[in-house]
Amino acid sequence: MTKISKRINLPINRAEGDLEIQVEIKDDTIVDAWSAGTMYRGFEAMMIGRGARDGLVVTPRVCGICSLTHLTAAVEALDEITGIAPPDNARRLRNLALMVESIQSDIRQAVLMFMADFANHDAYQHHPLGDDARRRYNPLEGESAIQVIRETKRLLQIVAIIGGQWPHTSFMVPGGVTSIPEIAKIQQCKLIFERFCQWYERSILGCSVERWNRIKSINDLEAWLDESSSHRESEVGFFMCFSRQVGLDALGKGPCRFLSYGNYTLPDETTVKGVGGRLFRAGFSTGVEVEPFDSSIITEDTSHAWFEKTDKALHPFAGETKPYASGHSGRQYSWIKAPRYGGQTVETGPLAEMIINGHPLFQEMVKDKGPSVFARELARLVRPVSLLGAMRIWLEELLEKRNETFYFPVGTIPDGEGAGLIQAARGALGHWVKVKNNKIAHYQIITPTAWNGSPRDSFGVRGAWEEALVGTTIKDIHNPVEAGHVVRSFDPCLVCAVHCIQKGRKKGFLTVGV
Amino acid sequence: MKRCIICIGNRFIADDSAGLAVYDKLCEMQPFGAEIDLVEGGVSGLNLLSFLENGGRVVFVDAVRRMADPGEVVVLSAKDIVSTLSQDHFGHEAGVPYLLSVLPKVCEGELPEEILLVGIEGGYTLQTIETAADLSLTLALKGMKDLA
Repeated sequence: MTKISKRINLPINRAEGDLEIQVEIKDDTIVDAWSAGTMYRGFEAMMIGRGARDGLVVTPRVCGICSLTHLTAAVEALDEITGIAPPDNARRLRNLALMVESIQSDIRQAVLMFMADFANHDAYQHHPLGDDARRRYNPLEGESAIQVIRETKRLLQIVAIIGGQWPHTSFMVPGGVTSIPEIAKIQQCKLIFERFCQWYERSILGCSVERWNRIKSINDLEAWLDESSSHRESEVGFFMCFSRQVGLDALGKGPCRFLSYGNYTLPDETTVKGVGGRLFRAGFSTGVEVEPFDSSIITEDTSHAWFEKTDKALHPFAGETKPYASGHSGRQYSWIKAPRYGGQTVETGPLAEMIINGHPLFQEMVKDKGPSVFARELARLVRPVSLLGAMRIWLEELLEKRNETFYFPVGTIPDGEGAGLIQAARGALGHWVKVKNNKIAHYQIITPTAWNGSPRDSFGVRGAWEEALVGTTIKDIHNPVEAGHVVRSFDPCLVCAVHCIQKGRKKGFLTVGV
Repeated sequence: MKRCIICIGNRFIADDSAGLAVYDKLCEMQPFGAEIDLVEGGVSGLNLLSFLENGGRVVFVDAVRRMADPGEVVVLSAKDIVSTLSQDHFGHEAGVPYLLSVLPKVCEGELPEEILLVGIEGGYTLQTIETAADLSLTLALKGMKDLA
């Protein structure tokens, strides 16, 4: 690493000091990058010895915005250990709750966090859409920002209804769910859902879901944009117009390898169509060449992280979380381990899901120019399209089949091991659990931000967004908005950190070495 | 009048767990003798907005930094809380200052008549938590004016 001569305080993830990124710049271009998680969390260590079901209560509290996602991963790991598949109605409720959390996160991230950078006055004061961007996305007051907070707040009511509690619901349990919503409550969920769909189509897409689904290629996308002013004025349309003029389609390539664990296990009897029993397919791809997913080749490398070293990278069923911050200073630089799939760095998140699900538009984008900030963020903005249809069907099916069971009795959790592998809003999330004598004997969590924001591995290979930063041109090192676009396109999140009210709070920052 | 105490923070980060230690203490102290909604707000950020649309009085309890001497308990008004907003950009972690800044623009119910925050500075003892719990209850019942 070259000598650091300048440090810039960039709120890179607005996660209050728990993510720091250093980049080395030559001739205005980033030539190397280091991503550091700056806080040891060690949730796994605190799980050992607790009751077998405690992950259902503890892990949803790990993160304020992925509460249901952790709950889902935790319960699916226990489902595997008990060998009892939950009844169809429980699947419907679990999926609906997880989908609400994902949609809420996608839209908030896109408008409140990613497109907030379009309102960066110093960077975009001469951009032809700069004034419009500030009107829409200025933090705390932009028209789109306020609208998004209001609408996503309403959507969350669905979780409160079906979870029977908000926040910190633990309504998913081995064998199913603990809540059986009344017909009137399901009807209420439908009303909230349909109102949200109307807003999403009107404001985010600028067209119906059916019209959006007719887009199968880059040419179709361009034609869609030209087709009407409502398309251009929607958030997706504005994002396209603004991005085109700042070249986001050529920024932030990354490793060009993708991972998705697949998501939303389908009920046995449903009219929702999926692949291999899930709505979203599991897989790994190099470019757009998709291979079947094999969970046995996931490993965690600790060579550059502040954890006790092992002879080789270990599978999460064998891995440990033992902090060790002494020695090797300079080589170790993060509290995040380096997850690898078959020894390789991968990107995970909405773009990975689109590629692995075989979405023709996103496959063409990646074939054409490789992954980019543009493709990644567009995938996030339109991912709800893939969810809304299934949500509508499952709400209807719940009304029809409300008299069927929501829970199969499960007694003591037997000894065994299980993995809950799902897609969080930010990508692949896994809980690997071993139970012995009705106690947790082992718990490992790999979050999406660990995949995307990993440090180097023992071969010196960079993590996904470290790699994506390389080659980025920075016009003004005092306002490196381009680097912000790259990292934020992965939706970095370490929200499970300190966040108390304080004067002169520390922000996550980007350090630039020149 | 509706009254609500929302304890926030992260149980798994010692520096940020004071609000939830108060929550646990308040749970032990129930029933309160008057109707007060007690909420474990955790790190729910923007998702706490729905608790701020029912009018009445809302008292947050949280750890604070650089607001007082270590071990002290302070009371902040809504204005004090919003004044701590020093970022121009926010993320998934958006906290109470962000929440209160956008509240008037997104509230679809009734805005609270009074919003206060009981802050615990630095490391805490059982005594500090008890003091903060008692103060939260008093503020929820009487508000700042009557306290003075």
